[in-house]
Amino acid sequence: MSKGKKSKEELERQKKLEEEFQKKLKELQKRDPFVYKNF
Amino acid sequence: MIQLGISAFYHDSAACIVLDGKVIAAAEEERFTEKKHDHSFPVNAIAYVLSEAGIQDINEVNEVCWYEDPKVKKNRVLKTFNKRFFKTFRNRCRYLYSYYFNSPKTLLRKHFKYTGKVTHTGHHLSHAAFSYLTSPYKNAAILTVDGVGEWETITISKGSNDKIEKLLSIDFPNSLGMLYSTVTAYLGFKPNEGEYKVMGLAPFGDPKIYYDKLNSIFSHTSKKFTIDQKYFTWEYSDKVMYKYLFAELLQLLPRLPEEPIKQEHKDLAAALQRIYEDKFERLLKTAKNLVKSPNIVLGGGCAYNGVANVLGYKYFKSVYIPYAPSDAGSAIGACLYNYKGERKDNSNPYLGPEYSNDEVSFLLSQFSDKINVKKLPEEQLFIQTAKLLNEQNIIAWFQGRMEFGARALGNRSILASPRDASMRDKLNMVIKKREGFRPFAPSVTAETASKWFNINQSVPYMNIVVKAFDEDGFARFTKFPAATHVDGTCRVQTVNKHQNIKYYLLLKEIGKLSGAEVVLNTSFNLKDQTITRTPNQALKRFLESDIDFLVINNMLISKK
Repeated sequence: MSKGKKSKEELERQKKLEEEFQKKLKELQKRDPFVYKNF
Repeated sequence: MIQLGISAFYHDSAACIVLDGKVIAAAEEERFTEKKHDHSFPVNAIAYVLSEAGIQDINEVNEVCWYEDPKVKKNRVLKTFNKRFFKTFRNRCRYLYSYYFNSPKTLLRKHFKYTGKVTHTGHHLSHAAFSYLTSPYKNAAILTVDGVGEWETITISKGSNDKIEKLLSIDFPNSLGMLYSTVTAYLGFKPNEGEYKVMGLAPFGDPKIYYDKLNSIFSHTSKKFTIDQKYFTWEYSDKVMYKYLFAELLQLLPRLPEEPIKQEHKDLAAALQRIYEDKFERLLKTAKNLVKSPNIVLGGGCAYNGVANVLGYKYFKSVYIPYAPSDAGSAIGACLYNYKGERKDNSNPYLGPEYSNDEVSFLLSQFSDKINVKKLPEEQLFIQTAKLLNEQNIIAWFQGRMEFGARALGNRSILASPRDASMRDKLNMVIKKREGFRPFAPSVTAETASKWFNINQSVPYMNIVVKAFDEDGFARFTKFPAATHVDGTCRVQTVNKHQNIKYYLLLKEIGKLSGAEVVLNTSFNLKDQTITRTPNQALKRFLESDIDFLVINNMLISKK
């Protein structure tokens, strides 16, 4: 495998991480306390 | 010359009255609304400071000093929004509505019918002025670090003979404060509030695990740095501050507040704190090179990072951090910057409301079915309180004027003996109902501080973290386990008789009984509450909690 190319396992792990992240993001966006006033 | 200083709309809104260069009164809005870090226009704080100064008509005020420049801030916000015109459309409308219809002038006219002069002083200049002009120095380097002001997130200035000359600035979006808040949010704590928790969590983690990953987002020039924005949403969102790429970089998911704190969260906190300290040290070095002074003053919200602040001693002989370095103090900073007369001593942090014995007695008389009240002569009050503390009781201590700034400095404090480790757990779990890893701080008489702590300068405002043992390595922290963190450090408050005579005399009595003039001091509030302002709040909180005794002025109160 060439340098920098991801293995199948790695790609699957990344996909899972992204799915979990999006799930958490959705949940967080519903919540008010995470507002940071920078404007 | 009467000046009314105001800071608002970001966090920790506050107001103050300055009379001929002397601060007469100051308070944060949160103490009145009971909303932590309240950022709304400080209507209640303004009303309080005017009444404390005996000003019947606000138009007697010569100038209102606003702590930042709204026009320059608008320039930054719109320029940033223009990069993503459609994505930011809603935020742009909201922002512009607020800019035109809730301007400081409009709100002052609406709420107080004030029609006089309003001056605007830059956000970081107000921070710098508060830190420098309340310090004991004529000449000093001034370093301000926070989330963001108008454009600036960091400034280095030279303070000389009461003049401030800016020498360097780092601009948005390159912000150490915003990075700290982003990771705070990532770890499941509330930004602009939970940063203390991250700092408290850091010593439990291994900084090496995430250090290189976090550090890879920085690029450095000799004096400045940039932060790669591909990981963050700071330029267009005020909700979730990070993107998926940040999770991919860390190989770690964000923690929801209700999820357990795992070792990886502690490791990330440790890496963030280490990164902050390293970048802060670079700034200290730059400040030393640019300003050849033995003194430095620190300002901006990041100056509450007591662990990093101590690094100042590596480059400067003397370090000063004021009592309210975040936006609250900028209300005072804006006034002092615009005052053209001789500098006055403004080192007193006790600038809030106080209550007479008559007011307190009247209140207590209405609760005679629930409480016992003993009025004591002052000397007896200190002896009795010291005795009760020595017997491992927890005491709420309410005296004189409320503190200005985030710290309770002995006028709105919960006190306990620092000698038993179980006291920390009792206070965390039972009284304050907060995370068990969070440390408590000790107060100590200034003249005995170096006996117990590795300290070479007084720390009256509790904003430098020091080792609780001295250079011979003798671990004296074992004597105060309830007020010492897991890494053997303490956020000490030194107390002298000029600063707070009652608290000082209490510490003296404690010393007679325990052999150490040291007490555990934490702010007088329960879970998610703001610090106590009134005797009524004090009594209510006392009755709702497992605090053993309440002392208000010279009255010792116990539950029936």
